[in-house]
Amino acid sequence: MTKEAETNRYDLHSRSRRILGLDKDQALKGLFGGNALVSIIVLALITFFLFKEGAGFFGQYRHEIELYRRSGLEYVEIMKEESSSYTELNRYLNSIKGEHATMLKEQGLSFSEAKAELASYEDFIYDFEDLGYPLSEYVLEMNEIAIGARDMYVESANYREHRENLLALGRDEEAAEVEVLDVDLSLFVGMLKEGEPDFLAINDKLAAGIERLTSDLPTIGVAKLDEKMQRFRQLALMFVAEMEGYETRLKEWDSQAPVGMGVAFASFVFGKDWVTNSSIQDWYGILPLFTGSLLVASIAMVIAIPLGVGAAIYINQVATPAEQNFIKPYIEFISAIPSVVIGFFGIAVFGEFVRRASGWAIFSGFDIFPISERLTAFTAGCLLALMAIPTIFTLAEDAINNVPKAFKEASLAMGATRLQTTMRIIVPTSLSGIISAILLGFGRVIGETMVVLLCAGNRIEIPDFTNGVATFFEPVHTMTGIIAQELGEVVNGSIHYRALFMVGMVLFLLSLLINYLAQKIVLKYQISRG
Amino acid sequence: MANDKPEPKRPLIRVSDFDFYYGEKQALFDINMDMKENEVTAFIGPSGCGKSTLLRCINRMNDLVEVARIGRGKIEVNGADIYDPRVDTIELRKRVGMVFQKSNPFPKSIYENVIYGLRIQGINKKPVLDEAVERCLKGAALWDEVKDRLDTSGLSLSGGQQQRLCIARALAVEPDILLMDEPCSALDPVATAKVEELIHSLKNDYTIVIVTHNMQQAARVSDKTAFFYLGKLIEMAKTDEIFMSPKNEQTEAYISGRFG
Ligand SMILES: Nc1ncnc2c1ncn2[C@@H]1O[C@H](COP(=O)(O)OP(=O)(O)OP(=O)(O)O)[C@@H](O)[C@H]1O
Ligand SMILES: [Mg+2]
Repeated sequence: MTKEAETNRYDLHSRSRRILGLDKDQALKGLFGGNALVSIIVLALITFFLFKEGAGFFGQYRHEIELYRRSGLEYVEIMKEESSSYTELNRYLNSIKGEHATMLKEQGLSFSEAKAELASYEDFIYDFEDLGYPLSEYVLEMNEIAIGARDMYVESANYREHRENLLALGRDEEAAEVEVLDVDLSLFVGMLKEGEPDFLAINDKLAAGIERLTSDLPTIGVAKLDEKMQRFRQLALMFVAEMEGYETRLKEWDSQAPVGMGVAFASFVFGKDWVTNSSIQDWYGILPLFTGSLLVASIAMVIAIPLGVGAAIYINQVATPAEQNFIKPYIEFISAIPSVVIGFFGIAVFGEFVRRASGWAIFSGFDIFPISERLTAFTAGCLLALMAIPTIFTLAEDAINNVPKAFKEASLAMGATRLQTTMRIIVPTSLSGIISAILLGFGRVIGETMVVLLCAGNRIEIPDFTNGVATFFEPVHTMTGIIAQELGEVVNGSIHYRALFMVGMVLFLLSLLINYLAQKIVLKYQISRG
Repeated sequence: MANDKPEPKRPLIRVSDFDFYYGEKQALFDINMDMKENEVTAFIGPSGCGKSTLLRCINRMNDLVEVARIGRGKIEVNGADIYDPRVDTIELRKRVGMVFQKSNPFPKSIYENVIYGLRIQGINKKPVLDEAVERCLKGAALWDEVKDRLDTSGLSLSGGQQQRLCIARALAVEPDILLMDEPCSALDPVATAKVEELIHSLKNDYTIVIVTHNMQQAARVSDKTAFFYLGKLIEMAKTDEIFMSPKNEQTEAYISGRFG
C-alpha cells in the first residue's frame, strides 16, 4: 500500500458525487419530499376550489327559499298538495274500472258488451271527477298569481342590478332610461290571502259532495272489485278528514316568517327533491342522489365482497401455481377495462339480459318479476361489482399474503385441515387488512361515474324501500351521475352550478372518511401484530 | 399402543433406505435409523446437511413444499408407513407434534393458543378445555408464570415463554412424538435451561426428536445422537458414546469443533 492510499483510507469525508450541492441521500430525500409536497398542494387546491365554488350555495339557496315564501308560492304549494291527493283518489277509482275492463275482456265479452257492463258505474266516476274541478281551477288561478309575482320580482331585481351596474360605470344617462318597477310582493300575497274564504267554501262543498257520493256506492258485482270500492270509500273519507289539516296550514302560513340558513341547509341535506329548470321552484335536496348512490354501491358490495375476498382466499391458499398465474392477472385485467366500455356493455347487453331473465319461468314464483326496466340500480350495481372486485381482490390478497407463514405451518402441524387453517388463522389474522380492502373497494364504487350514468336509469327519486326486493330494480340517480350529467349545462356561478359543487363536496368528504377508516384499521392491525 | 410391552423399548420411528429430493437436488441420501419410544434423539450436523428436512419428513410437513418428493425408501411410525397413500396427514400430525425453531404462537390469547388443537377437533366444552390448558401449561412449565393472564395475547410473552407456549400447544393434542427443530436457538441461557429441563420431564411420556447446533445441549438432553453430513447419516449411537468415543473421523472433528 502506498503512503497516499494509506492516508486516503482515513479520509472519512464522503467521496460520492454531489448533485446540486447535495449528497446522494439529501438529493433522494429532496426528490421524494418534493413529490409528497406536490401531492399535498394539489389536494389542498382541489379542496379549496371545491369549497370556494360551493361556498355561496347556502346563501343563494336561502335567498331562493325566502323568495318562494314571500311570493306566496309556498302557500299555493299547500293547496296543490290537497288537489293532488284528490287526483290520487280519481286515479284509484279509474284503476278499478281498468281492472274490470281487462277482466271482462278475458271473459270473452265483446267491446260493446263490456261497455254496457261498465256503464252502470261510469257515471259515478264522472261525478266524482267533476266534484274536483272547482278545486283544481282555483289552485291553478292562485298558482298563476304567485308565479307572476315571483317572476316580476326577479325581473325587476335584474333591471335594478343592470341600472346599478350602469351607474357604477358612470353611464348615468343610460341608467336613467332603465325603468325599474317596485314590486311589492305583499300585495300579491294579500290577493292570495283574500281568496281564502273562497277556498274554504270550495272545500266545504267538496267535502259535502264526497260524503253524498260515497254514501251511495255503486255495486259492481265482482267481490274483489267491490272490496276495492269499499276501500275507495275509506280513502275518500280519509281525504275529507285531512282537509282540515290543509286549511289550518293555510291559515297559519305567514309570508314574512324568517328563512334562516338552517332551512337552506336542511333543505339540501334532507331534501327529498332534486328539481332543476322548473318554472315554479327549483329544489336541491341531495337525499335522492345520496340514497341512490348508496343503494347502487350496496348492491355492488354485496356481490363484490364474497367474490373478491373469496377469490383472494382461493388464490392465496388453495390454488395451484398454474391457476395463480392465470387467475391473478385475469382479475387484475378487469380493472384495465375503461369504465365507459363496461357501461356500454351494461346498456347494450347486460341490462336487457336482466330484464329478459326476470321473465324466465324459474322466477315466476316471485311477484316482483318480471321487471319492466332495463336500466336499474341492480344493473349498475352488478357492473360496479365487476369494477370493485379487482380492488378488493388485490388488496385482500396482499393482506392474506402478509400473514406469517409460520402461523400456517403451526396450524397444519397441529393436524388442522387446510380449511380450518384458513378460517381460524389466516382470515382472522388478516381481517383488518381485508376490511380495509373492502372499504377501499367501496370508495371505488361510490366514486365511479360513467357506469352509473349509463346504467342506473337516472330517475331522480328516493328509492321506495317499502317495496322490499323490488327496490333494487328501480331506476335511480347518483351523486356522481348528476354532476357528470348537469355540470356541462349549468351557468357558471348559478345556484344550480353551486349545488353541483356541494354534491361534489359530499362525495369528497365521503371518500376522505372511507380512506381514513381504512387507514385506521390497517394501523390497528399492525399494532396487534406486535 | 394398548398391546405394547414397556420393555424392551421398540422403535417408534423407523427410517429405512430413505432418499429425498427438492426438485432435482437430492437432500437426503439413503438414511437408515430407528428412534425408540420414550427416548430423546438429537440430530446434529453442519448447516444445510438435511436435519430439518428429515425432521419435517416425519410429520410430512414437507408436503407443503411444492417441489419436494421422495426418491426411495420409507418412514414408519409405530409400524405404519406414513407415506402410504391411504394415510391421512391430519391424523398423522395429531400423533406427531412439532415445535419450530422460531416460536410462532398465534395472535390469539394464551388460552386459545393452547387449546387450538382441541378446538379444531371440535372440542368446545369449557371444563375439558380449562383442564387441558392447566395440564398443558404445567407440562410446559409455564403455568405459574401465566395463570393470571390467560386472556392476554400469546404474542405479549417473552421469547422463552412463547416457545414454551408453543410446546404446551403441541402437548394439547396429546401426541406420541414431539419433533423440535432448534427450539432453543432464539433463547437466552436461562430460558434454554428451562426448555431443556422440560424436555427431560417430557421424556417419560413422549418420544422426542430434537435438532440442535449446541453440542452441550445434545449431550445434556439426548439419549441417542445422530450426526449428519451432506445429506447422509454418518453416525448414530448412544449420546455418551458419540461424545466420548466417536467411531467416525468426521463426527469427531465436528463435535470437537475442528470441523471446516
Ligand atoms: N423448501 C426447500 N426447497 C428447496 N431446497 C430446500 C428447501 N428446504 C431445504 N432445502 C435444501 O435442502 C438442504 C437441507 O436443508 P435443511 O434445512 O434440511 O438443512 P439443516 O440441516 O436443517 O440446516 P440448518 O442447520 O441450517 O437448519 C439444503 O441444501 C437446503 O438448501
Ligand atoms: Mg434446519
